[in-house]
Amino acid sequence: MKLVLEEIMAVRGTWSLLACGTFSQGIHLISGNVGSGKSTLALLMANLFSPSRGRVERDGIKTLMLSTQFPEFHITGLSVTEECASWGLNPDIIIPSAGLEISGDVSPFSLSRGELKRLHLACVLGRQYDLLLLDEPFSSLDCAEKERLCSELNSRTQGITVIFTHEQSVFPRVDQLWEIADQRLIDLGKMPGAIEQWQNAPALIKKLISTGRCPANLTPSDILEASCRTHG
Amino acid sequence: MQDARVRLGCAALLSVAAFFNIACALAVFLWWLIFTPRMRSVRNRKLVLVMLALIGIIAVMITISGGDGFSYFMRMGVIVLIGSWLYAEQEPGDFLSVVVWACGKRRGFELGMIGECAMQIAESLSYDFVRIQTAMKLKNRSSGIKNLVPTGLMLIHDALVRADEITELLAVRGYNGGGTICPVFRITKKDYFAGICAICVLLFLVIPVSEFFILHS
Repeated sequence: MKLVLEEIMAVRGTWSLLACGTFSQGIHLISGNVGSGKSTLALLMANLFSPSRGRVERDGIKTLMLSTQFPEFHITGLSVTEECASWGLNPDIIIPSAGLEISGDVSPFSLSRGELKRLHLACVLGRQYDLLLLDEPFSSLDCAEKERLCSELNSRTQGITVIFTHEQSVFPRVDQLWEIADQRLIDLGKMPGAIEQWQNAPALIKKLISTGRCPANLTPSDILEASCRTHG
Repeated sequence: MQDARVRLGCAALLSVAAFFNIACALAVFLWWLIFTPRMRSVRNRKLVLVMLALIGIIAVMITISGGDGFSYFMRMGVIVLIGSWLYAEQEPGDFLSVVVWACGKRRGFELGMIGECAMQIAESLSYDFVRIQTAMKLKNRSSGIKNLVPTGLMLIHDALVRADEITELLAVRGYNGGGTICPVFRITKKDYFAGICAICVLLFLVIPVSEFFILHS
């Protein structure tokens, strides 16, 4: 199972993005600044945006899901129960799993952005997809929820998971790192070697690299281990 | 067409004229051919085609029940074209400017603002529709007739939520009725000519031209 971007060029007005690479099973992290083209690339991978050039090949991928950064974009039900049902899921399981204490009769629009994001992510992660595209999954979440999401992502053992984010502090265990810079998607390679190539790495990770303590991965425990590591 | 007053006035006059009889509808269609960028003024062709298809269905039903479905289709079709042209040429603030110019800064401002809000919500509806279609596609749900009612309910709900948000925003900004803007309009010779022609089309409806010719024959 793999997703191949063959010399893709996405164009929006005067802005463009070049992307080329192969995404195999595992967790891929695509980092990039706001406006760098992460969402466009996610839409392109989900077949919701046509490239001006090149093609997207989905080899062995039968099911895919794109979680956009705005959870309200996914709502098709007038109540939380209807919304869970629209994903083919049981609201009695999903609502507690999202850490929500709400009635299934309330409108999803009456939830706060953070609650809605938790409900949405619980629905997305409630099913297995061959290709799971998560656009800014950490936005609107507090640190505890970010860590809970990371542990759920870490438990995904099958399929391709692609995370598009400009998150700076909490990450799941990542298999391959990518970066969007200068309007190009750059494959930084597998972990842990990729971390040293990361141009726009979070400040803490940059500091660790500069002091020769490159973390083995991006999880909080890896960062903590590298921070506490002593030379010699 | 540069002047929003002439544009709105023409659209109102021509819509009334086209609705009344097929001869006027043909005159309005001629006006549309001369004074608008024709098909370039139809911003959303798919939507116009859907509307024409719906009018076509009603026209067939009128014909079956013994009425003049063809006339209905022609008249309504021309009104859709005029509406599409108006929608494409309209810029944010145009309606507010025209109504303030016509009705003053108290009632005119409120009416204009309601109109602007309505147009903004209409714009958002098409955006919401695409959003719901995409969400359904991602959830592997068909966007066919079965989901037409939930989609409609979602659109109404979204529109009400948006209206509520606009109301709150106005209240937060201290709005309690009326307001002042100084609308500026730029009228061209083409605008004058198009406006006069639109009035002529309406006169064609009001004055019994055929009887006039019978009198002198």
